[in-house]
Amino acid sequence: MFRSEIQFFIIVFSFGLGNLIYSQPCDLILKGKITDLHDDSLLIGALVTIQGTNFFSQTDLDGRYEISGLCAGKYNIILSHPECITINKKINLSQSRVYNLQLEHHVDELDEIVVTDSKVSKLRKSIQEVSVNISDINSYGSNTLVEALNYIPGASILKTGNSIGKPIIHGMYGSRVGIVTDDFRQYDQQWGPDHAPNIDFDSFDVIQLIKGAAALKYGGDTSAGSIILSSKRKKLKDTLFGKSSLNFESNGRGGKFTTRLEKNYFNGFYINGNFTGKRYGDFTTPNYVLSNSGFKEANFSIKLGKDLISKGWNLKYSRYNLEPGILKASHIGNVQDLFYALNSNEPSIINDFTYDIEAPKQLARHQKLTLRYFKSFENNTKLEFGYNFQNNTRKEFDIRRGGRTEIPVVDLLLKTHTLNGSLSGINIKDWSFELGLNGFFQDNFSTPDTGVKRLIPDYIKFETGIYLLGNFQKINSFLWEWGLRLDHVSYDSKKYYYKSVWNERNYNSLFKDFETGREFANQILTNPKFNYLNLSAQTGISLNILNDLKFKMSYILSQRAPNPSELFSDGLHHAMAAIEYGSLSIEPETSHKFLFSFSKNNQIYNWSLEPFISKTFGYIFIEPTGLKQTIRGAFPVWTYDSTDAFLTGIDINSSIKIYKSLVFDLGASYTYAQDEINKEPIILIPPLNTFQKLKFIPSKGKWTLEFTNQISAKQNRFPNSNFIFDYIEDGKLVSKTVDISRSPRGFQKLDAIFSVQIGNQNNLKSSLRLILQNITNADYRDYLNRMRFYSSEIGRNFQVQLNFSY
Amino acid sequence: MKNIFKKTYLLYLPLIVLLINSCSKDDPDGINEQEFISNVVINVTSPEGTLQSIDWDLSETNTETINLKVNSNYNVGISFENRSDPTEIEDVTLEIIDEADEHQVFFEFADVSIDVTSASDDTKDGSRGVLLKSVWNASSTGSGVVRVYLIHQPTNFNATNREGFGGFNDVAIDIPVTISD
Repeated sequence: MFRSEIQFFIIVFSFGLGNLIYSQPCDLILKGKITDLHDDSLLIGALVTIQGTNFFSQTDLDGRYEISGLCAGKYNIILSHPECITINKKINLSQSRVYNLQLEHHVDELDEIVVTDSKVSKLRKSIQEVSVNISDINSYGSNTLVEALNYIPGASILKTGNSIGKPIIHGMYGSRVGIVTDDFRQYDQQWGPDHAPNIDFDSFDVIQLIKGAAALKYGGDTSAGSIILSSKRKKLKDTLFGKSSLNFESNGRGGKFTTRLEKNYFNGFYINGNFTGKRYGDFTTPNYVLSNSGFKEANFSIKLGKDLISKGWNLKYSRYNLEPGILKASHIGNVQDLFYALNSNEPSIINDFTYDIEAPKQLARHQKLTLRYFKSFENNTKLEFGYNFQNNTRKEFDIRRGGRTEIPVVDLLLKTHTLNGSLSGINIKDWSFELGLNGFFQDNFSTPDTGVKRLIPDYIKFETGIYLLGNFQKINSFLWEWGLRLDHVSYDSKKYYYKSVWNERNYNSLFKDFETGREFANQILTNPKFNYLNLSAQTGISLNILNDLKFKMSYILSQRAPNPSELFSDGLHHAMAAIEYGSLSIEPETSHKFLFSFSKNNQIYNWSLEPFISKTFGYIFIEPTGLKQTIRGAFPVWTYDSTDAFLTGIDINSSIKIYKSLVFDLGASYTYAQDEINKEPIILIPPLNTFQKLKFIPSKGKWTLEFTNQISAKQNRFPNSNFIFDYIEDGKLVSKTVDISRSPRGFQKLDAIFSVQIGNQNNLKSSLRLILQNITNADYRDYLNRMRFYSSEIGRNFQVQLNFSY
Repeated sequence: MKNIFKKTYLLYLPLIVLLINSCSKDDPDGINEQEFISNVVINVTSPEGTLQSIDWDLSETNTETINLKVNSNYNVGISFENRSDPTEIEDVTLEIIDEADEHQVFFEFADVSIDVTSASDDTKDGSRGVLLKSVWNASSTGSGVVRVYLIHQPTNFNATNREGFGGFNDVAIDIPVTISD
């Protein structure tokens, strides 16, 4: 009491004194914006006080404060916010000025406020992003990244069975989709349609989906888009925090266990660890067991670091192990076996349920080591530096003769080193810039111990990239953004070609320089070397048309060098009964894309409309080019080639609050894709699909109930890749068409989820979730599942999920 | 000063990349393909003892025809070879004999009618003949095709057409057959 009186006295006194001494007009204005240091979010209700005066201002809904009637002089500003650490700033005021300030969130005890480790903030402001929390994804009962991505509007999944899947964005997949974890691109065998991204999504918190090659920071070659996984961290003072989740599923008779522990210290030091284990036996369709479709997965990661406002570092190691079985019936010998499979309602091999995983199967291991450092300077610029090493091994096992089933037929070791450096937050007036460099070195080794011709040869790949991003924002309602990136890509490969193939494809005259002169049996060793220079660019605007109506438009140019599979593939693809050849003549593809987004957000309803239109010159694709006689009969040959592709489509999303506690969501997505040179549709484009969701969230209850209905139409636009073979039927040789092109009929799938909070004591929170998937036990096949030739999708599934956080 | 030093990290980047850029791959070892079959050799011995040998070679155009006489017993022996490395010819038949329990040779005929039985010296798995050695008897004249299969892991060993066997084909080749009086 006494003290505050003195303070008051001093304030009055100094105020008076100031006036007396300087007697200048006191009409200066100090104003600005307060944002969060980590994600640039606006801080509402932050208190700006000038020490020693009774001048203060509280930030409004736009995070703005304004203090007027100030005299010139030196002031000490105190910036406080209930959720942040209070800071002091000294300022010498001689004229009215804008003074933007940043605060760092802190948390008292167990508040659910989190700080972000990496760029969970919007990557590009002129592109509509979709961001989904992993915990939400888990609440849908998705136990693989594959399923998880299904719940991100605008993404579809290209599947091989039910445990292997890759994301499709805007009708494209594989090398055209970038996956980023911990600020580094993921490098596994992303080119293969039957290779799942080697990522434990449970060790992250947020998935962001960016359509188009706009995430120039991470590369300019992903014309479809990027998927970015990042983690958040609870920033607690000296606390130990953890969460665990336990899942049981009836289909596959398996489950998942995932757990995380975090220890934070007051000085900014932290350490956390994640573990995820999954084990499933054979899954079942409504009518039969999918023999050999179970899988095992075990992942862990450990991360430690120190985060302060001005600088920080972290070190992370993660390890991912996946062993998926491949449907036994999909291991076929030749075209005739494929013909039987296509004309049969059931797989040719159906055994009793088992947890055992036998050949054919895959074995993928991905290890990742990341070191990052950042430093912020007083003028808001931030320097970041990172190194990342990824070690990927991939083994594929087939049914082999002579006890060789234990020896993989594909055995690849891929090592990738990446270096990143960036300088961001370079602010000049209303402009903001970011400059960065990436260096990348990749070494692929394909062991000869397989006793099978290498699918992908040994190669060394280099990439050097430089990018410059900028944006201009003078007023809140309008932003102009652009980015430029230049990449140099080079391959140095050593590959054996059969002399017959080398000559037949005319490589002996086209690529004579690649011949090394070394021969082995009837093969020739070659040394293909390629250099590519790729340019990518993006420019766009973001405009607030009305209060809650936003318009965004962007143009994106991207160039992509061919991947190793497109250049070098050479071999028989069992499940497809196809011989696949890469082509050394392939040039990089260049894609132009326009993206638009209209979105409206308010309390009652939200919607967004996102059309795109794109043209790709030199679009690399694989097409049937004939039949080749082998000892197993004639096989269709598929060869990589390029064409011009036109793609357009739209993603629609909406959410309406029908009644206080009732929410209805509606989403739809359509893509049209045409090969403009061959005048035919492009293969494996997602058909029209839509989902409807009804959510019941009682305002007083501790439970929620939701129903999701997914409808996928039949894809009527597909190229004709059928071929004819001679078949012996009743002692007569007859010609039969192998219809591999036809799409399955459309399907509908209904899911229900019931969640209830069962405990909230002290520091332990627990919830129970009951999930019923494919309630009607619908028997359907998915056009985007490469196993559709052999089997239906999985049937009804009941899940029990227990979640704890402590 | 300290800040400037930190910024120079960026300058190292291209340098490091250039350094790594100078290395190159060692020559990889050639692969001698295992369990690969390049040739199917069919030896047809007539009742008189004359031998007709058909060598179906993957790298060639194959036009050889099996010539049989009606109502005669022919001893037919089949063997599989890997000649992709001419200096090291591998007899794959031995592996099939070792794994007789999961292999079956099957002959499917089009436009000709030939009765095939397991020969006395055939490889057996229990009572089932693998048909590496078989006896052929044509009941009528004509010309057609025999499709020669080596089926791995058939699900049913007693089928009468290829579809019925299940499993997958390690070999499926066509050879013309002519049957005369």
